[in-house]
Amino acid sequence: MSQAPIVAAEESITEIADKILEQTYNPPVSIEINNVTVSFKTPKGLYTAVRNIDLTVRKGEIISLIGHSGCGKSTLMGTISGMVKPASGEVFANGVKVTSPGPDRGIVFQNYSLLPWLTVYKNIYVAIDSALKDISEVEKARLAEANLKMVNLWDHKDKLPGQLSGGMKQRVAIARAFSINPQILLLDEPFGALDALTKSAMHIELLKLWNLDNREKTIVMVTHDIEEAIFLSDKVVVMNNGPEATIKEIVDVPLKRPRNKKDIVHDPKYMEIHDRLLNLLIHRFSIDDEE
Amino acid sequence: MIMGGIWTLIAKITKNEIPSPIATWSVFKDVMHHPFQNDADQKGIGTKLLSSLARVGIGFGLGSIVAIPLGLIMGGSKIAMKIINPMVQILKPVSPLAWFPLGLAIFQDSPKASIFMIFICSLWPTLINAAFGASNVPQDHKNVSKAFGFSTWKYLTKILLPFSLPHIITGLRLSIGIAWMVIVAGEMLSGGIGLGNFVWEEGFNGGSIAKILVAIIIIGIVGSLLDRCFTWLQQKFSYAV
Repeated sequence: MSQAPIVAAEESITEIADKILEQTYNPPVSIEINNVTVSFKTPKGLYTAVRNIDLTVRKGEIISLIGHSGCGKSTLMGTISGMVKPASGEVFANGVKVTSPGPDRGIVFQNYSLLPWLTVYKNIYVAIDSALKDISEVEKARLAEANLKMVNLWDHKDKLPGQLSGGMKQRVAIARAFSINPQILLLDEPFGALDALTKSAMHIELLKLWNLDNREKTIVMVTHDIEEAIFLSDKVVVMNNGPEATIKEIVDVPLKRPRNKKDIVHDPKYMEIHDRLLNLLIHRFSIDDEE
Repeated sequence: MIMGGIWTLIAKITKNEIPSPIATWSVFKDVMHHPFQNDADQKGIGTKLLSSLARVGIGFGLGSIVAIPLGLIMGGSKIAMKIINPMVQILKPVSPLAWFPLGLAIFQDSPKASIFMIFICSLWPTLINAAFGASNVPQDHKNVSKAFGFSTWKYLTKILLPFSLPHIITGLRLSIGIAWMVIVAGEMLSGGIGLGNFVWEEGFNGGSIAKILVAIIIIGIVGSLLDRCFTWLQQKFSYAV
């Protein structure tokens, strides 16, 4: 008789353990895109950018949307951020249907989009002040400071964006998105305008921030850089060419983290994924190939 | 130097009908003898200048207070643009002097009518430039406002106004230029104390072309100083992107 409670306790322990394991291997869904089609009215008639897209992203995953220019990858991301309204289908973020942009989804824009008349510090503070209404001013100031220090820009806090280099501007934009502590981070070709060396450093920077946060943030990134997509992501979503773009294939990237930029390129798995993506995206590899 | 040379030459050709720079200089010194004299029958040039400046200041100030918000509303909303723009297009080309009799009829007072005229003519450039600025806020900035959930007030003060400010200042600069040009004409019509009155009464009716020249020089210098002020403001509030 006296054994029973212990058995019960044991059962509940295994239950809890199962739950933890399940969460680790099967984390909750963060973003769900159901049969989404996006069309725009143009002078020439209705233009359908993407058609019948289904995609599920789990919490803490990093995924890349990759494809040729104009294939609708930014449009698809716009449906997650709430900037673009789908013509049909629906998008759920953190379990809530997306109808408009919100502070649970941080956005890093393609061209940084800092406000040029505000200092670096003010750019971040204004964002925190707008997105997080319930915290005190002291707390807002602390958040702004912490996030600027995180991207090593505290010394530049009083500069205007015009006085910063491209890489620094991008770090401010990333710090701004992180500062409102969103569960989902959306990056629209964030490193597209940077030179290769700065870009490389920014990749590490981004992963560092993601790590510091216990890898709990879901990151969706639009890119057209294959190496970047593999190095950063868990999954690479390859899109067909628009109009009416669809998902061509979702390529898993089962490379262990933390990844090392130098070593990873020699990993046979990396080379295999790289080849696969190249084949999906590019059809001519030398001047001898037929179009 | 070159201007002085040409001026001397013209004076020589017209046989001093147009006074030479030296003759004008002596009249200038004479005029500047008691610049701020303020007796009932004798007012100094400085007093007249200040009185003209005050009228421009009041008219221009009132005009700007009306034009800036109205322009921002016009640029911010397509409906407001459709309603206000046709009115602006019709009223803008009207010569400021045409408003003077109307002002006189409304206020029954010529200094007030001058201020009214300045008010009207300083509206348009500011209004149009503010509207242009407000209607050209880049999509990027609007996206930031959406993404971080800016309130309307925050959007106005952190995005719309700072972005439009350089355009507004350009408008103000054009407006003050027009206002300063118009005040002289207005005061010629209205009488009263002012630079326009000085040109007309003491210069033309008093038969002293040198005084007219002195007034022209003073008007020119003050006008360019006003312009400088706004150029300085323009530089101060422009930003690198």
